[in-house]
Amino acid sequence: MDFPASMSMEEAFALAEAEAKLNAALQESKARFEQAVLPNRLNEDWRFGRPHKYATALAELLQSDTHTQGEANVQHGGDAAVRLTAEDEDLRQTELLMPTIGSDALLGLHLERFGSGYALYIEENTAEPIHIHYSTAGLYTPSTFIMVAPGVKAEVVEHHEGLGEDAGMFVTRNIQVAEGAELKISLSSNNMARYMCITNIQNMGGAVKHLTRHEGHAWAREETVAETYTEGSDTRLFSANSLSGDNILDQHTRQIHHVGGATSDLLYKNVLDDKSTAIFAGNIYVAPGAHRTDAYQSNRNMLLSEKATVNSLPGLEILADKVRCSHGSASAPMDEEQLFYLLSRGIPQYEAQKLVARGFMDDVLARFNGEA
Amino acid sequence: MDETPFQMDTRGAFSFPENHKYDAGFGLTEETIDYICDVKGEPDWLRQFRKEALRKFNEMPMPTHWAPAEISGVDFESFRYYLSHGATPSRSWEEVPDDMKRTFERLGVPEQERAFLAGVDAQYDSETAYTNMREELTKKGVIFVNSTEGLKEYEHIFRPWFGKVIPVGDNKFSALNHAAFSGGSFIYVPKGVKLAQPLQAYFRINSESMGQFERTLIIADEGAELMYMEGCTAPQYDSATLHSGVVELVALKGAKIQYVTVQNWSTNVYNLVIQRGLAMEDAEIRWIDCNLGSGLTMKYPAVVLQGPRAKGEVVSISLAHSGQLQDTGARMIHAAPHTTSNIVAKSISIGEGRASYRGEVNVLKGMKGCKNNTECDALLINATSRTDTYPAITVNGNASAVQHEASVSQVDEEMLFYMQQRGLTRAQAMSLAVNGFINDLVKEFPMEYSVELRRLIDLEMEDSIG
Repeated sequence: MDFPASMSMEEAFALAEAEAKLNAALQESKARFEQAVLPNRLNEDWRFGRPHKYATALAELLQSDTHTQGEANVQHGGDAAVRLTAEDEDLRQTELLMPTIGSDALLGLHLERFGSGYALYIEENTAEPIHIHYSTAGLYTPSTFIMVAPGVKAEVVEHHEGLGEDAGMFVTRNIQVAEGAELKISLSSNNMARYMCITNIQNMGGAVKHLTRHEGHAWAREETVAETYTEGSDTRLFSANSLSGDNILDQHTRQIHHVGGATSDLLYKNVLDDKSTAIFAGNIYVAPGAHRTDAYQSNRNMLLSEKATVNSLPGLEILADKVRCSHGSASAPMDEEQLFYLLSRGIPQYEAQKLVARGFMDDVLARFNGEA
Repeated sequence: MDETPFQMDTRGAFSFPENHKYDAGFGLTEETIDYICDVKGEPDWLRQFRKEALRKFNEMPMPTHWAPAEISGVDFESFRYYLSHGATPSRSWEEVPDDMKRTFERLGVPEQERAFLAGVDAQYDSETAYTNMREELTKKGVIFVNSTEGLKEYEHIFRPWFGKVIPVGDNKFSALNHAAFSGGSFIYVPKGVKLAQPLQAYFRINSESMGQFERTLIIADEGAELMYMEGCTAPQYDSATLHSGVVELVALKGAKIQYVTVQNWSTNVYNLVIQRGLAMEDAEIRWIDCNLGSGLTMKYPAVVLQGPRAKGEVVSISLAHSGQLQDTGARMIHAAPHTTSNIVAKSISIGEGRASYRGEVNVLKGMKGCKNNTECDALLINATSRTDTYPAITVNGNASAVQHEASVSQVDEEMLFYMQQRGLTRAQAMSLAVNGFINDLVKEFPMEYSVELRRLIDLEMEDSIG
């Protein structure tokens, strides 16, 4: 390894050490992909998720030679936005190291197709939200990288769009927020036969608000791992989805507190109609020594039809002291009283149901927008 | 010791010389089963049944969704699967061997008190050592015998329900129990009979490396009511002991069953128990469960709500200190409309102890008006303590409501400071705080148990803080 002449001995050692650590992590990660098997019924992280059907189908498409691609666009990106290429080794390594929730083998297949999408290096406050837009009619596997510099306030809007009946997308997202930075990011996706999104949020002392909204997917799986590395970090995860038809939404979250003195909060709400199915499996992990952690998790489901199904697995793993942690999960039909009130005001049944369902979800959006 | 009002209790920390008439040796094979069947004089159908179960046990994998990783540490070859003093259970108090009487005395159950209780069916090793049933019970038509006798004398009632609530192939440990079971109780309460006094059984494991595979079946006929209490304190031993019981409850139309367990095995015991109840129309099943001992406990009392308007409830307390993993929880299967269930679980982790809640609530397709409420609270005493919560909730349809809440907290420093300022030691203050945390649940236990429970918690706190 070559060091610049201006570098002191200590700095050189530190750099060498960091390099050695990274290499070790990369080796470990490579081993992880070599050992990974496609999700099957024994995979705890795919419980209720029918991996033999959906993970297998996605893997088969990823392995097939038809590398159908999609469109990637950025608006208001300015200097911050950089189009990703297959040659970007640093970002490839970032993806190689990202955690999944039971889908290492699928991430391995995604890495083989690495090289499309956008990276945002946000070093100045954003005047307007930066828009990232991915769309496809076939199978598209972009990656998004967002880095927010210390003290910078940023807002990002991401949209993943399906353009045909057969559209499929498998997106990986890495989000790093530095000390004192603020990031408000929303992701909406719609109308795909299959959709998968693995997100890793690394909070180093900033404030992150993350919202996802998925609509009209026959099958969608979201894996979000939010990691807290620095005291004072504040991570808030939101999701609001309205499912209908045969929609399946399979959401998995991890709130990992590596260090103490930080906060994370999660609110995921679904409204389910027709024969739709929602799976929510969340976990709060407070590492040994991560004392004084505040972490909350809440999953709420409103069932509108007798054929709809909800599976909720809210988990906690606490290995530290002076922790305030709670989780809640509730699944229930629409509140009859609210409905009755609207009906008594002359609003037709269908409209009234839509209004109550919207009210149920608006709470999430209000909290994301800081209005509640 | 002078500064605390508590007395160090050495009861349970002792053992007596082993003197077994029958010993099936280590490991479980067809020969072991033949041996058990010969000793117990069991019919051929049961022998075949046990062998079939053994085949299933060997074939089945260790559970994954329902088990902590520590379960892989169980070495099935290192246990004895059958031990007994004799094939015939003792009938009267006089016939009970002296050393066993001493054990009962040290357990805090004096002779006269036992006579006072409705019926004590005390388990000493795998067989019932002492059975005392009041004549009244017999007059009412209540059957309260051990499972071996139940299968022999009351085959017409026992066999139709044998392995019906928990089938052989349910999981690996169910198959193990079906293959090797001995001991446990069989209770039948006839139509409309309501027992005012609880039935009791004391379990003891008193032989090193001895597995206990109790099999308890309780049937409450239409409109019947009973409470069954089971308590354990085990002598301390060096090598691991396997305890894998099966408890089946059947509450027919309008019946009520309450099953109370206080478990305090020594930490070398694997306590892997399957408890499940079937609640028919308007029936009610309550599991009141307290786990204080054993190195690894896996216990998830379940209620299958099979008839309309059936009710299920689990009240659970677990306490894990260093070297213990209490993996406890509850399962509620709503298989009929308008069924309701309630789960309240509280756990305390001390030192390097780990307490986990693992639960399942499932509202099956097409069910209407089902309701479940689940609350789990965890208390962490030390910085190295660990607690986990792993619930799985499935709701089908828009006519049922399910809610789950869990929280994790510590003992408030200010509260401790206040109590210490008033002259209590830190251990006393902590003990008071912990007792306060579980106070509302302890109230659910019968009087003598709640007293015992408080005393045990005092002792635990004293050991870890004092």
